[in-house]
Amino acid sequence: MSSTLDVSSRERQHDEAPRRGGPDAPRTKRKSGRLAPYLFLAPWFAGLLFITAGPIAASAYLSFTDYSLIGSPEWIGLDNFQRMFNDPRFYQSLKVTFIYVAVSVPLQLAFALFLAMILDRGLKGLALYRSVYYLPSLLGGSVAIAILWRQIFGSDGLLNQVLRFVGFENPPGWVSNPDYALGTLIVLNVWTFGAPMVIFLAGLRQIPTMYYEAASLDGAGKARQFFQVTLPLLSPIIFFNLVLQTINAFQTFTQAFIVSGGTGGPADSTLFYTLYLYQRGFGNFDMGYASALAWFLLLIVGGLTAINFIASKYWVFYGD
Amino acid sequence: MHTIRRNGARAPWPTRLGVAGGVLGLLLTTAACGGDDGGGGAAADGGTTREDGPVNMRFSWWGSDTRHAATQELIDLYESQNEGVTIEGDFTGFADYWDRLATSTAGGEAPCIMQQDTRYVREYADRNALLDLSPYIEDGTIDNSNLDENVAETGMVEDATYAIPTGVNAFSVVIDPQAYAAAGVEVPDGESWTWDEMVETAAQVTQATGGQVYGMQAMGLNGGDTNFEVYAREHGEALFDENGEIGFTQETLVDWWNIEKQASESGAEPPPSTTVEVFNGGVDQALVATGRGASGFWWTNELPALTAGAGHELQFLRFPTEEGNGETGMYLKPAMFWAISSDCESPQEAAMFLDWLINSEEAVNIIKADRGLPVNTELRDQIAPTLDAPGQAAVAFVEEITPDLQDPPALPPQGAGEVQSILQRYTEQILFDQISVEDAAEQFMTEVESAIA
Repeated sequence: MSSTLDVSSRERQHDEAPRRGGPDAPRTKRKSGRLAPYLFLAPWFAGLLFITAGPIAASAYLSFTDYSLIGSPEWIGLDNFQRMFNDPRFYQSLKVTFIYVAVSVPLQLAFALFLAMILDRGLKGLALYRSVYYLPSLLGGSVAIAILWRQIFGSDGLLNQVLRFVGFENPPGWVSNPDYALGTLIVLNVWTFGAPMVIFLAGLRQIPTMYYEAASLDGAGKARQFFQVTLPLLSPIIFFNLVLQTINAFQTFTQAFIVSGGTGGPADSTLFYTLYLYQRGFGNFDMGYASALAWFLLLIVGGLTAINFIASKYWVFYGD
Repeated sequence: MHTIRRNGARAPWPTRLGVAGGVLGLLLTTAACGGDDGGGGAAADGGTTREDGPVNMRFSWWGSDTRHAATQELIDLYESQNEGVTIEGDFTGFADYWDRLATSTAGGEAPCIMQQDTRYVREYADRNALLDLSPYIEDGTIDNSNLDENVAETGMVEDATYAIPTGVNAFSVVIDPQAYAAAGVEVPDGESWTWDEMVETAAQVTQATGGQVYGMQAMGLNGGDTNFEVYAREHGEALFDENGEIGFTQETLVDWWNIEKQASESGAEPPPSTTVEVFNGGVDQALVATGRGASGFWWTNELPALTAGAGHELQFLRFPTEEGNGETGMYLKPAMFWAISSDCESPQEAAMFLDWLINSEEAVNIIKADRGLPVNTELRDQIAPTLDAPGQAAVAFVEEITPDLQDPPALPPQGAGEVQSILQRYTEQILFDQISVEDAAEQFMTEVESAIA
């Protein structure tokens, strides 16, 4: 049915095309018709230019300078990039960030897919559940949630009160102990599974039921159906979520900033790359180095994304 | 709609191109970081004044809740007396304050009047972000005739005056006598106690109360750099020497950190993760302010805020010494400074406000000793009797110890603002047993060296 809908809409386009270019179309109208889309695009374009592209260009320049934030930048060539390789905190921040990405992204996606599949079974009140589960995604990056998180996971926080109540003698301070602080932030990220979940849900709904019918007629059980039908057909969406969430995870800042009070502590255990970059730039008047760090992050994330795309050839099934 | 899709062919999204496009957009935001040049140099003339129309100035400070309330009162009073002048208050905690100040300065949006700190005056002054106040002092807008001379000079960089101290205070030990009494431990004698004694008695308090009350709060986090500076000065060294170079030896730092380690291992201090949490909570969450500790290291001007939290009288003690002879490395420090941004559009008005803050009886009556004992000596004597009990205790304590104090150190070099965070990080690593004291000291010195280079 949908294919017929598609065809009809395509036909409609064909109908319109000659009319638009017809000889009786007034010249002025045609001109304004061309301009209008650009006018509508203008606000976005201005934003891109001044809020995104401008700062990007500025930071590219600053990454080759010694810039103290107050005062003017001085050109120092590649010094900032060389400096990174002798900077132990740079390595620490890379370590923290990679652990975070490598652990939290797969966990979050698995969790999102799991819940999407439950919701896809046609629960009553689906819209409500969908909204409720989506909520953490909207709130997860916010300052308020990070503060709440710090309270819940503190030495005398809610979690530890519960743990003590059920008999654990000495639960650790989850966010103030370097052994657990990063893990707590990973849990926070997994908790914001809503955005990928909603996308998975939409993807699941697009898998034609006939495949499942055919599979079950051929005797495939639920697990087999999941691995042979759901996963392959969902693979473009898994890929999309994977790339998006990976990039997001690399940019994690707010949670770490609030939970550690901006230090990346305790003992640098939550020194995320972006947090270190921020400390260098705004805390230590080292904006040139911070800009170089930002560009290096772009290289890392860009490189990983490229690898992701290359690898996707071997596991993503586009069907078209 | 869904059912139509389900029975039909695969929907067209997401396509390869769509995925790639979305990703590219997101990627680019990664690198969107940086700032534009801070504009504007020092204004040559008085800039806009109230004669030219309404003047609006931003005024930034850091501090506790008590200070925020008092400072807002100052603003309200000044506005009511000076028609056409509005002052916009802007406050945060100490750590966030500097990030915010640096960012707004870089954006050419620095607050007109700002609270400054010893560690950062040079940082800003050397980069022309602060207004040279000398012309305003010469023409009498800012009256410095009643200011404590030794202290007033600490805001100078070479011959220019970039900042005026708000007042003086001393970093010292604050104890809760009730906590000692409840633990059945005698309060040590401040004139003769040693560092070892400090750790021992603190451990006794923790033990006697079964961990309900800790003997002391960690030395290396809150004001750690000052704490170590006092220790270094007691040993004839300094954090930075007159040339702005590192002024202490690695051995001294190792000894100081060993005291901390001893305190942590003996239970004199809370477990490290509690220590971290308490520190993040600032003055308001201090152990002595919440009834969870018997002592801590604090500035004399922080006593009122601490007392407000504790709900009962707290006392000062001098720093302990190695020999127990009271020959301490303590010194009177300009508590903080007032400074004017070189971006300020109404420097004349800002200078008038600054003068009012330090020289008017009304203002000093509101500020009291919260920003240190007033730098205006006439007003200092005048307000002393009007202070609340903790304020008077601070005055009395400072008077009592002044003869034994060392001279205040000169303004530290650029990069000195980093020392505290570096010290804090290594202290945390030591407390969590991630690094040996010796390695920490070695790495600390390397890092500080490169921070001030």
